[in-house]
Amino acid sequence: MNEQGISRRQVLHIGAATLAGSALSDVLSGPARAATASAASPLYFARFGVDEGLIRGALAAALSKGGDYADLYFQHRVGSSFMLEDGAVNRAFKSVELGVGVRVVKGDQVGYGFTEDLTREALQQAALTAAAIADGPSRELPQRFHVGDPKASRYAVKLRWDDVRPEQKLPILNRLNERTFAADPRVKKVSISFNDESSVVLIADSTGRIVEDVRPMTSCYLGCVAEQNGVREQGAYNVAGREDLSFYSEERLARMVKEAVARTVVLFEAVPAPAGEMPVVMAAGSSGILLHEAIGHGMEADFNRKGTSIYSDKIGKPIAKPFVNIVDEGTQQGARGALNVDDEGNDVGKTMLVQDGVLTTYLHDQISAKHYGVAPTGNGRRESYQYAPMPRMRSTYMLPGPHKKDEIIASVKKGIYATNFTNGQVQIGAGDFTFYVKNGWLIEDGKLTRPVKDVNIIGNGPKVLEQVDMVSDDLEIDEGGWTCGKDGQGVPVSQGLPTVRVASITVGGRTTGKRG
Amino acid sequence: MSKASPELYEVAQLAVDLALKKGASAAAARAAKSRDVEVRWRDGKVEQVQESTTRGVSLALYVDGRYAAVSSSDLRRDALETFIADSVVMTRSLAPDPHRALPDPALYAGRREMDLQIEDPAYLTVSAEKRRTLSKEMEDAARAVRGAEAILSVSSGFNDNRTESVRIASNGFSGDRVETTFFIGAEVAVKDADGRRPSDSSFAGVRFVGELPAAAEHGRIAAERALSRLGAKKVASKSMTMVLDNRVAGRLVGALGGPLSGQALQQKRSFLEGKLGQAIGSKLLHVSDDPFVPKGFGSRLFDGEGLAAKERPVFEDGVLRTYFIDTYYGKKLNMAPTTGGMSNLSWRLGERSREELIRAAGEGIYVTGFLGGNSNATTGDYSLGVQGFVIRGGALGEPVAEMNISGNQLELWKHLVAVGNDPYPYSTLRTPTLVFDGVSFAGL
Repeated sequence: MNEQGISRRQVLHIGAATLAGSALSDVLSGPARAATASAASPLYFARFGVDEGLIRGALAAALSKGGDYADLYFQHRVGSSFMLEDGAVNRAFKSVELGVGVRVVKGDQVGYGFTEDLTREALQQAALTAAAIADGPSRELPQRFHVGDPKASRYAVKLRWDDVRPEQKLPILNRLNERTFAADPRVKKVSISFNDESSVVLIADSTGRIVEDVRPMTSCYLGCVAEQNGVREQGAYNVAGREDLSFYSEERLARMVKEAVARTVVLFEAVPAPAGEMPVVMAAGSSGILLHEAIGHGMEADFNRKGTSIYSDKIGKPIAKPFVNIVDEGTQQGARGALNVDDEGNDVGKTMLVQDGVLTTYLHDQISAKHYGVAPTGNGRRESYQYAPMPRMRSTYMLPGPHKKDEIIASVKKGIYATNFTNGQVQIGAGDFTFYVKNGWLIEDGKLTRPVKDVNIIGNGPKVLEQVDMVSDDLEIDEGGWTCGKDGQGVPVSQGLPTVRVASITVGGRTTGKRG
Repeated sequence: MSKASPELYEVAQLAVDLALKKGASAAAARAAKSRDVEVRWRDGKVEQVQESTTRGVSLALYVDGRYAAVSSSDLRRDALETFIADSVVMTRSLAPDPHRALPDPALYAGRREMDLQIEDPAYLTVSAEKRRTLSKEMEDAARAVRGAEAILSVSSGFNDNRTESVRIASNGFSGDRVETTFFIGAEVAVKDADGRRPSDSSFAGVRFVGELPAAAEHGRIAAERALSRLGAKKVASKSMTMVLDNRVAGRLVGALGGPLSGQALQQKRSFLEGKLGQAIGSKLLHVSDDPFVPKGFGSRLFDGEGLAAKERPVFEDGVLRTYFIDTYYGKKLNMAPTTGGMSNLSWRLGERSREELIRAAGEGIYVTGFLGGNSNATTGDYSLGVQGFVIRGGALGEPVAEMNISGNQLELWKHLVAVGNDPYPYSTLRTPTLVFDGVSFAGL
């Protein structure tokens, strides 16, 4: 309920993108009271209080000025968060969002409007607003609408979040709290947030297609502050997925506690990281942040279509060693970045960004796919009905390579082993990117010696990919709750990496030299 | 200065009434409606136009000593009633929290009566044509600069917003706010010889459309800034003087906001705990939280909880003078609430311009942009990606990129050696150019 200042408002929309791990402040987004899904009929017409006639009317208005294509994106999202602080689950947050976005496309120009009032008049008005991007005679709609069959089921949810009572969630938070305090006497504060949502979307477009999807999401953040000899450190661990309550198995909860505490108390032993160029070994798992920033954003086709990505004009060219293969996909069961269909209603598959070291495929939405004359790759995504879709990543990772983790660490005389990250950012055109290492180790003479903490690493995408000279066979997809930000829209993503060596990159530690 | 629409008063009052009817002992609601129009222009034509009005209500519920906060955009009467009833039930499932309560009504009192000048009555007169024309002017000016043949793409745009909100609390608070903003900006991408495609931008925001600066200036500046990035390289790692551009200095100043909050203090996540009355920075660090800046983007008569706004010194001659304490953490910390969040910052300015500060610095790095990185609120350690220009012999030299600065906030602010005369007007933090010596830069 804060009256926010508006310094964050941005009028500019190119050039930079961010990635952040889930944070306590980052809580609300949404679920829905869904009936059991069945094929063939637009199950959610009733939920939105709409019917085919209303959809037809809105799409006709959308194309009344000669747009090439139009779509409607209905969304009902309910999210809830329970938070624990000072030993008690003593606050909850809940949000409901209901609305429809209308998009009209003319060439590569887009008109967009949305309304939270789903009456015929309001929908018509939003459609006419979007229609104004074009300026010509109206277009015909198809005779019939076809409801697409759900082709995939990547969220195996037995119990919908709407049907989970608070009493079923609270013991999870309380258990995590008790175990975290019990794990180490140095732990002084524990904070936990447990979030879930379900989002029902119905997409109807001017080709006559109607597609529905019901998307669950859950995440849990466990943070702790520890104290030793008057020094305090904070650390955290979080998990996320398109999963139900069964996601929170004993094994997962135990891992959360173990990792959160270990990542915090190790900081008491940490030394400042060195400064300058050196080899960096990226640990398997959340190190996928390297791919997200170094290449993922640069391969989103909107930047390439505009010529503003450092990867523009590089398709078909070798950019990395032949054992480097990089994938973006949305098909991993239960992954935070998984989707049955994207936010334009297209099938979601597996896209090879880099195959055998060669730059292969951009990530497309419908506009860029048409521009390049290729099929959409299922990367058209949006934060909610309030935004037009654009090419976005889903789950981005590197396939296993020919080396072994031990051999990679042993190969480094002096460098950093980076294990845990909080956030990253990239300049898509210049290619410069960063990721913030919360936990890591010094490598000295091929051995992990002392822990390091809180150091930013900065590099340039194509240069760093050339520097990836060892890739291990131990690929892990991170289970953490990553949110990717682009043009002010946040979408959930996954990432992963096997252990990888970057031969040289700038580590932003502290200089030991004299004042300059 | 107009009042928010009666419809919003009705929604907020209805939400509070329903909450009490469904079993809450106290409640506070905020109803808001916001119209936003944005034109994005790229390479000779409109790229995207978006126009929308969004509305919603958020509600703080106090039920049997328990607390929850909920929000909905579904304002249909039946839906709202069901939502609030469900929310009250949800709140009952929580642990009681003796520290949760609406603010002491005494703190609502003394609200200043003044016109903050944050609403332009001419808002609705902005035409679609004006938005397009200004956007085009920015592109044309960008493409007219010397060296424009290296330009790959020019994006420009116009965004305007009008937001009205009403806050009502069951213990006697009622207040509203109507504000408008107008932003223009341009971003230019250029092609470098080595295949990099750096970009830079320039933008401006105002409360009154008639006060927008010349659009062409921003197009020109964006292009010149982007072109100046050509050939950027990292330089050797070492400790140097940093001249920090006023448009990005907020990145460092903003990192002090979290650790000054009641939550960070109470949760032992603040390196500024126990430092009230102590010198945190050099004597040049002299800043107040000023909610009454005319036309300011953070200006307000009451804060997010309804507390009457007050001007407060944050740092005086380097000494920390206030924390940002809301009602809840105030009770937990046994401290009097101040306010839960910053409004605008007002700096004690220096006398020199950025150019004079660069000349006086002699050698160092002029930082014009940050890239990622983070600042640890618990320890004060920071590590941030930077770009900018080498300063050599008091003049700007070649562009640098892919560099990083690291250190600890407690150390950094003691090395604040100069403050410029140029507060950045387009942000709530209103930072002038800042100069620090002995900053650790990592590069080669």
